[in-house]
Amino acid sequence: MRLYPFHMATEGEAAAPPAALQMRREADSTLVIRLAGTWRLAAETPSLSVFESELERGPAPRVAIDAAAVSSWDSALVVFLSRLLETCKTRGISVERSGLPGGLQRLLDLVQEPELTAAAPPRPAGPFEHIGRRTLFLRHRLGSVSAFLGWTTLALARFAARRARYRAVDLGLLLQGAGPGALPIVALVNFLVGIILAFVGITQLRRFGAEEYVPDIVGIAVVRDMAALITAIVLAGRSGAAYAAQIATMNVTQETDALRTLGISPIEFLVVPRIIALTAMMPLLTLFADLMGVLGGAAVGTTMMHQPLASYLRHTSSSVTTGDICGGLVKAATYGALVALAGTLRGMEAERSSERVGEAATKAVVSGIVLVIAACGIYQYVFFLFGW
Amino acid sequence: MSVADDVITVRGLTLAFGDRVVIHDLDFAIHRGEVFVVMGGSGCGKSTLLRHLLGLQEPAAGEVLYGEESFTGASLAERARILRRVGVLYQGSALWTSMTLAENVALPLQQFTRLAPERIREVVELKLSLVGLRGFEEYYPWELSGGMQKRAGLARAMVLDPEILFVDEPSTSLDPPTGRHLDRLILQLQQALGTTVVVVTHDVASILGIGTRALFLDAESKRAIAEGPPSELKDRGPPKVRAFFGRDGASP
Repeated sequence: MRLYPFHMATEGEAAAPPAALQMRREADSTLVIRLAGTWRLAAETPSLSVFESELERGPAPRVAIDAAAVSSWDSALVVFLSRLLETCKTRGISVERSGLPGGLQRLLDLVQEPELTAAAPPRPAGPFEHIGRRTLFLRHRLGSVSAFLGWTTLALARFAARRARYRAVDLGLLLQGAGPGALPIVALVNFLVGIILAFVGITQLRRFGAEEYVPDIVGIAVVRDMAALITAIVLAGRSGAAYAAQIATMNVTQETDALRTLGISPIEFLVVPRIIALTAMMPLLTLFADLMGVLGGAAVGTTMMHQPLASYLRHTSSSVTTGDICGGLVKAATYGALVALAGTLRGMEAERSSERVGEAATKAVVSGIVLVIAACGIYQYVFFLFGW
Repeated sequence: MSVADDVITVRGLTLAFGDRVVIHDLDFAIHRGEVFVVMGGSGCGKSTLLRHLLGLQEPAAGEVLYGEESFTGASLAERARILRRVGVLYQGSALWTSMTLAENVALPLQQFTRLAPERIREVVELKLSLVGLRGFEEYYPWELSGGMQKRAGLARAMVLDPEILFVDEPSTSLDPPTGRHLDRLILQLQQALGTTVVVVTHDVASILGIGTRALFLDAESKRAIAEGPPSELKDRGPPKVRAFFGRDGASP
């Protein structure tokens, strides 16, 4: 028989004899199992039940295995024999294995070696256990999110006191990436939003013959809310996802551990610069977005309503107050902080697995957008209460 | 040894990154059933050589043959067919972290065989028990120690019963006893299955423990300066090689 189970060795053995198993009882009541043919995973091989039913028929104190007629084998034979040996072991049957080739015997010894066997990790059982686990997990998460927020607040305080450990170069790059890097997309999206608002304004206001108020509506909507909101959503997809993926990857490669063991808090080193970057850049981007949104509206005003550009802009500036602009910028800073928090939190939470990196990025975008819209709603109510 | 018993033949291989040559003119053959060690200090190009043998990098000159077939001159499809006879245990074990151990080991079977799921489960269980990891099927790689990850990587590398097993730095990042344990396991599997093993390492204990023959790459001259059984190289090799094995008084 072939000594070793190579794929190569059997190429061109299409007409190999099928696997066969014969059993015979010797005079001294030894059960001799004779194996023959091709024992390969790709082929049909006899199942162990043949042997088990033979044992049912009459007890066999000893079993001898003869594999001299096996023409080729691979893991299929090893699986079969290891299960046969296990069956014999549980039934207290002694097994004579000298009829097996040396390599196969060594392999079976490795299988038998009772080294390092661990209980499998507990797997969720019923629906109740599932609900319980979910609840415990929620409580755990509530704790971990609060801890994250607490540590971040402390780290921000250290940053304000100029005692936080971070690299100024990193902060510079983050500011550059979050701000100037986002200009083109922020410009495009807000210009389009301006156009959309103007169209909505025209079609609705035309019914009352109040088309001349389109610049007011577009201006106020853009400056007070839309510019900040839209820019925040763009940044959630752009920077928030990137922050989550970066930090999650650093978890996988143990870079965050390396920071911790150096005595550098990853919160100070990774989270704070990102929060600062987005919080600082969001108002600037929003100011720019205000301009682009108004210009978008003006594009519609000048072409659809045949209003001269100068008069459209004059109309806008007479209705939009400095307070509106400042309110929008305050909101923008809040949204920036929220998007950065969502991104960094999801990144820090990610476990050490490459799959979790993608998950962290997705969750960062989703929770970033949800947080921003929720904050927008709260701001509406507060501003309304105070009559701003 | 006849030519037919050389599983891998390397002829005039020059490895380079752009203009920077790492090693000149390598010529050696790996015989069937041996444990061939590529050794040398850090930066001598042993991992680069491994990447060339696996087709992860293209040589600047020369060729690699698997059996009688040219590997470097083969098309991508032919290479894939040749590599089906090869298993690789990577330095960082390279287990797919989003899959359990069982899924890691089962993937080659699912992709390259048409076995029934039940059969695959049996084989996976067998392979994991061969490396002492029975019962860890549902664990994720990051839940295991470094040594266990390496052994799981070994189970994955061996799952298709490869003719050649490549091992990159088996004992790196493992403590000496765990490293020796892995060496012993590789040797046991090699003896049981007759696999040809190619090990890339700088670990002297590992080289002496499992190597049948070794090739020493020298970072300074950018050439292979010695080839032979490790114990012989250690005692009678060139001064640089003896120094590598820690023989005093033979410093280069």
